[in-house]
This record gives sequence, C-alpha cells and structure tokens, in this order.
Amino acid sequence: MESLSVTEPVLLILLSLADRPRHGYAILQDVQDMSDSRVVLSTGTLYGALRRLLDGAWIERVEEEDTPRGRQSYRLTARGRRNLQLEVSRLKHLTRVATLRVARKET
Amino acid sequence: MFTVYRFLLYLYPPAYRSEFGEEMLAVFCAAQTEAWKNDTLVRSRFCAREIKGLVVGALSEHVRTVAGFDRPPVFFSRRIAMRSEFRFPKVTVTLMTIILAGVVLAIEKATAIQASVPDSYQHVGPIQPARFTFLPTMLVIMGGACLAGAIGWAILFALHRSGLHRLAEFDPASHQGSGGRTHA
Repeated sequence: MESLSVTEPVLLILLSLADRPRHGYAILQDVQDMSDSRVVLSTGTLYGALRRLLDGAWIERVEEEDTPRGRQSYRLTARGRRNLQLEVSRLKHLTRVATLRVARKET
Repeated sequence: MFTVYRFLLYLYPPAYRSEFGEEMLAVFCAAQTEAWKNDTLVRSRFCAREIKGLVVGALSEHVRTVAGFDRPPVFFSRRIAMRSEFRFPKVTVTLMTIILAGVVLAIEKATAIQASVPDSYQHVGPIQPARFTFLPTMLVIMGGACLAGAIGWAILFALHRSGLHRLAEFDPASHQGSGGRTHA
C-alpha cells in the first residue's frame, strides 16, 4: 500500500470507480447504495478524498470535451487499481481470520 | 442553503476553490434537489452534513497547505471504522429542557415575589436591584448546562470507546486454560 491510508469512505469511493468512471454526484449515490445508506458522504468529504486520490495518482480525471464541471468524471489509474486490490486482499484475510476466531469462540 | 454553501466555499484555500469549487457547487445542487424531495428531518441532516463536511474539509486543506500533510496521523489510524451502536439518549435533551424551564419559572416566581413585598422594613432598607440581570444569568446557566453536557458526553464516549462496558459480558470461566499470552 502506497502512502495513502484507505479509510472506509476512501475504500468505497475506490470501489465505486472500480467498474467504470463516474462523476461526483454518481459517486455520492453509489457509495450510499453500496453501504446501505450507512455511509453518506458530504460534498466536502468527497472532494477532500478525491483531491488526495488525485494527488496520489490513484485516480485521474476523464478528459472529455464540452463537459460541464459538475459532470467531470473520474476513473482509477493502474496504481489505484493495484492498491485497491491490495486493500481488498487485506480485508479478505482479515475477514477470514475473524470468521475463524468467532467460530472458535462459539464452539 | 445554496447561498450559504457558496459562502462557506470561501473557507477553502483559493487554489482548491478554483480547482474544485465549481464542481462542488454543481454536485451540491444535484444532492440538494434530491434531499429536498424528503421531509424536514432529512433536509436538516443534509444541511448539517454539508456544513460539517465543508468546515472540516476546509480546515484539512489549510492544514495541508501550512503543514504539508493532510491531517495529523492520529486521524488516519482507523483504517476500518468501528461504529459503535451507542447513542447518547435523546431523552436527556428533553430532561435538560424541562430542568431549564423549571429554573426559568423559579427565577420568574422569585422576581414576582420580590416585587410584591412592600418596602416596610425600614430598618433594613428597601432592596434595590442594581440592574435587570435575567439575560446574563440565563446565558451563564445555558453555558454551564452545555459545558456539563459536553463533559458528560465526552466521559461516556471515552468509556464506551475503551470497551469498558464489555466487562459485564466477560466470562472468566470460559477463558481459563486458554493461557494469558497476547501478541501485538
């Protein structure tokens, strides 16, 4: 993992951009859907995270002509995708260990 | 709300505002249109969330500009957000309001009694209130109540985050024989 800490909102933003580029409002809605409305981002939080991800070259703007600023789309870079995969692997391992530990406690 | 939002955007550093300001306004407009289809509670939450997000975001950007990093590392230590199910009991707010109303009524009653007593005790002399002190007194009471509430909430929050409440669920018998070693 490279320099940028993946908090839960950041992870959800990365997951939102994993399948296709999205613009800001679409990311907000997708994060809310993915988390069953548990994580609802404000625009301030969203663009703070997007700025950090842009600075770290985890995401990039999709250059489109005649696109208004409000419809500016973002997509994962190769670096961002690689780091997302690492984070997902880490979470899988953690979930596996947690499942084993909880099962051990119950038996 | 749009005007307030646009005003609060000025809290951000100029470079950030010129890069993201217009985009944030457009996204906010779309989100506000969606939120405004719901009831007042949802709208209020939306407004509070947006204002908080802008203020915290602007502060983070200024810290980054000045200090060269995003936020103090302590804020990034929680990679997985453990959300507590503990909620500050809302009934406390009602209780505090009732107590506050009681204090106000008591003050009013005392003022009325004071005004109704004739100045017949010449050897003591009439009590002359220097000035009307109701508003400053209320401000002090409200400030004290808010401070006490904040301290109480902070103590409860710290205790809950420490996991102290789980001690009641701890069963020593089930942990016997499992050894006492822990690994970091």
